[in-house]
Amino acid sequence: MSESAADVKKESSKLDPSKFLSEIIGNAVTVKLHNGVEYLGKLQSIDGYMNIVLDETKEVINGNIGRTYGDVFLRGNNGKYLQYLKLPF
Amino acid sequence: MSNTDVDGNPQEPFDLVRYQLDELVLVKLRGAREMKGRLQGYDSHCNMVLSDAVEYIYDLGEEVNSNPTVKKSEMVFVRGDSVILINPIN
Repeated sequence: MSESAADVKKESSKLDPSKFLSEIIGNAVTVKLHNGVEYLGKLQSIDGYMNIVLDETKEVINGNIGRTYGDVFLRGNNGKYLQYLKLPF
Repeated sequence: MSNTDVDGNPQEPFDLVRYQLDELVLVKLRGAREMKGRLQGYDSHCNMVLSDAVEYIYDLGEEVNSNPTVKKSEMVFVRGDSVILINPIN
Protein backbone atom coordinates (compact mmCIF):
# COMPACT_ATOMS: atom_id res chain seq x y z
CA MET A 1 0.00 0.00 0.00
CA SER A 2 2.66 2.44 1.07
CA GLU A 3 4.77 1.22 -1.82
CA SER A 4 2.15 2.14 -4.38
CA ALA A 5 1.77 5.54 -2.80
CA ALA A 6 5.50 6.00 -3.13
CA ASP A 7 5.30 4.94 -6.74
CA VAL A 8 2.59 7.50 -7.38
CA LYS A 9 4.71 10.15 -5.76
CA LYS A 10 7.69 9.10 -7.82
CA GLU A 11 5.57 9.19 -10.94
CA SER A 12 4.13 12.61 -10.19
CA SER A 13 7.54 14.07 -9.47
CA LYS A 14 8.60 12.89 -12.92
CA LEU A 15 5.83 14.98 -14.36
CA ASP A 16 6.33 17.96 -12.11
CA PRO A 17 6.13 20.99 -14.44
CA SER A 18 8.68 23.09 -12.61
CA LYS A 19 11.12 20.19 -12.63
CA PHE A 20 10.61 19.82 -16.36
CA LEU A 21 11.21 23.52 -16.84
CA SER A 22 14.40 23.59 -14.81
CA GLU A 23 15.67 20.57 -16.75
CA ILE A 24 15.26 22.22 -20.14
CA ILE A 25 17.13 25.41 -19.26
CA GLY A 26 19.75 26.10 -21.90
CA ASN A 27 17.75 24.41 -24.63
CA ALA A 28 15.89 25.86 -27.60
CA VAL A 29 12.26 26.62 -26.89
CA THR A 30 9.39 28.47 -28.46
CA VAL A 31 7.13 30.50 -26.24
CA LYS A 32 3.72 31.30 -27.61
CA LEU A 33 1.95 34.32 -26.19
CA HIS A 34 -1.77 34.94 -25.97
CA ASN A 35 -1.52 37.52 -28.72
CA GLY A 36 -0.33 34.77 -31.10
CA VAL A 37 3.25 35.96 -31.39
CA GLU A 38 5.91 33.31 -30.79
CA TYR A 39 9.43 33.72 -29.52
CA LEU A 40 12.08 31.19 -30.44
CA GLY A 41 15.24 31.23 -28.40
CA LYS A 42 17.44 29.63 -25.81
CA LEU A 43 15.78 29.36 -22.42
CA GLN A 44 17.91 31.20 -19.89
CA SER A 45 15.62 31.31 -16.91
CA ILE A 46 12.03 31.02 -15.80
CA ASP A 47 10.25 31.65 -12.51
CA GLY A 48 7.03 30.59 -10.86
CA TYR A 49 5.05 33.32 -12.60
CA MET A 50 6.24 32.01 -15.96
CA ASN A 51 8.32 35.11 -16.44
CA ILE A 52 10.85 33.91 -18.98
CA VAL A 53 14.22 35.09 -20.24
CA LEU A 54 15.31 33.92 -23.68
CA ASP A 55 18.66 34.38 -25.36
CA GLU A 56 19.27 34.75 -29.14
CA THR A 57 15.56 35.30 -29.63
CA LYS A 58 13.63 35.38 -32.87
CA GLU A 59 10.16 36.88 -32.97
CA VAL A 60 7.75 34.85 -35.11
CA ILE A 61 4.58 36.63 -36.23
CA ASN A 62 2.11 34.60 -38.32
CA GLY A 63 4.88 32.12 -39.08
CA ASN A 64 7.21 34.81 -40.39
CA ILE A 65 10.40 35.59 -38.56
CA GLY A 66 10.34 39.22 -37.58
CA ARG A 67 12.77 40.98 -35.33
CA THR A 68 15.61 39.32 -33.52
CA TYR A 69 16.65 40.21 -30.01
CA GLY A 70 19.66 39.38 -27.89
CA ASP A 71 18.09 38.84 -24.52
CA VAL A 72 14.39 39.12 -23.93
CA PHE A 73 12.37 39.18 -20.74
CA LEU A 74 8.80 37.97 -21.30
CA ARG A 75 6.25 38.85 -18.65
CA GLY A 76 4.60 35.67 -17.42
CA ASN A 77 0.96 36.64 -17.86
CA ASN A 78 1.35 36.84 -21.65
CA GLY A 79 2.47 33.23 -22.03
CA LYS A 80 0.19 30.54 -23.44
CA TYR A 81 2.69 27.71 -23.68
CA LEU A 82 6.37 26.90 -23.84
CA GLN A 83 7.52 24.23 -26.24
CA TYR A 84 10.77 22.35 -25.82
CA LEU A 85 12.56 21.91 -29.12
CA LYS A 86 15.11 19.17 -29.48
CA LEU A 87 17.51 21.41 -31.30
CA PRO A 88 21.15 21.90 -30.47
CA PHE A 89 21.90 25.45 -29.44
CA MET B 1 13.11 26.84 -8.73
CA SER B 2 16.83 27.40 -8.46
CA ASN B 3 18.36 27.16 -11.88
CA THR B 4 21.81 25.74 -12.07
CA ASP B 5 23.97 28.34 -13.59
CA VAL B 6 27.08 27.32 -15.48
CA ASP B 7 28.46 30.46 -17.00
CA GLY B 8 27.09 33.39 -15.12
CA ASN B 9 23.73 33.61 -16.84
CA PRO B 10 20.85 35.08 -14.89
CA GLN B 11 19.32 32.61 -12.50
CA GLU B 12 15.94 34.20 -12.38
CA PRO B 13 14.19 36.29 -14.99
CA PHE B 14 14.20 39.56 -13.05
CA ASP B 15 18.00 39.44 -12.86
CA LEU B 16 18.04 40.42 -16.51
CA VAL B 17 15.94 43.47 -15.72
CA ARG B 18 18.08 44.41 -12.75
CA TYR B 19 21.18 44.45 -14.93
CA GLN B 20 19.46 47.03 -17.15
CA LEU B 21 19.03 49.69 -14.48
CA ASP B 22 20.28 53.00 -15.88
CA GLU B 23 20.53 51.41 -19.34
CA LEU B 24 18.38 51.79 -22.43
CA VAL B 25 15.57 49.30 -22.79
CA LEU B 26 12.87 48.60 -25.34
CA VAL B 27 9.58 47.65 -23.77
CA LYS B 28 6.87 46.10 -25.89
CA LEU B 29 3.42 46.95 -24.59
CA ARG B 30 -0.15 45.90 -25.20
CA GLY B 31 -2.07 47.90 -27.74
CA ALA B 32 0.71 47.83 -30.39
CA ARG B 33 2.89 50.22 -28.46
CA GLU B 34 6.55 50.27 -27.66
CA MET B 35 8.54 52.42 -25.30
CA LYS B 36 12.24 53.09 -25.39
CA GLY B 37 13.93 54.73 -22.48
CA ARG B 38 16.48 54.59 -19.72
CA LEU B 39 15.36 52.28 -16.92
CA GLN B 40 15.23 54.18 -13.65
CA GLY B 41 13.35 51.63 -11.61
CA TYR B 42 11.01 48.65 -11.71
CA ASP B 43 9.24 46.22 -9.43
CA SER B 44 8.05 42.64 -9.55
CA HIS B 45 4.88 43.63 -11.43
CA CYS B 46 7.05 45.09 -14.19
CA ASN B 47 5.89 48.55 -13.20
CA MET B 48 8.68 50.69 -14.58
CA VAL B 49 9.96 54.23 -14.60
CA LEU B 50 11.76 55.27 -17.77
CA SER B 51 13.56 58.52 -18.41
CA ASP B 52 14.05 60.19 -21.81
CA ALA B 53 11.32 57.91 -23.04
CA VAL B 54 10.02 57.64 -26.57
CA GLU B 55 6.71 55.92 -27.19
CA TYR B 56 5.92 54.38 -30.57
CA ILE B 57 2.25 53.82 -31.32
CA TYR B 58 1.55 51.56 -34.31
CA ASP B 59 -1.66 51.57 -36.31
CA LEU B 60 -2.07 47.84 -36.84
CA GLY B 61 -2.49 45.07 -34.32
CA GLU B 62 1.08 44.15 -35.10
CA GLU B 63 3.77 46.56 -36.05
CA VAL B 64 4.88 45.46 -39.51
CA ASN B 65 6.24 48.40 -41.41
CA SER B 66 3.79 51.20 -40.73
CA ASN B 67 5.42 54.31 -39.37
CA PRO B 68 4.31 54.84 -35.83
CA THR B 69 3.15 57.90 -33.98
CA VAL B 70 5.98 59.03 -31.73
CA LYS B 71 5.54 60.60 -28.32
CA LYS B 72 8.41 61.77 -26.18
CA SER B 73 8.42 62.11 -22.45
CA GLU B 74 11.09 63.12 -20.00
CA MET B 75 10.00 60.67 -17.33
CA VAL B 76 7.24 58.12 -17.57
CA PHE B 77 5.69 55.46 -15.36
CA VAL B 78 4.61 52.29 -17.16
CA ARG B 79 2.08 50.08 -15.40
CA GLY B 80 3.32 46.51 -15.32
CA ASP B 81 0.18 44.81 -16.56
CA SER B 82 0.60 46.26 -20.04
CA VAL B 83 4.15 44.98 -20.44
CA ILE B 84 4.71 42.14 -22.91
CA LEU B 85 8.48 42.06 -23.13
CA ILE B 86 11.59 43.90 -22.06
CA ASN B 87 14.66 43.99 -24.27
CA PRO B 88 18.00 45.60 -23.42
CA ILE B 89 19.29 47.94 -26.12
CA ASN B 90 23.05 48.03 -26.53
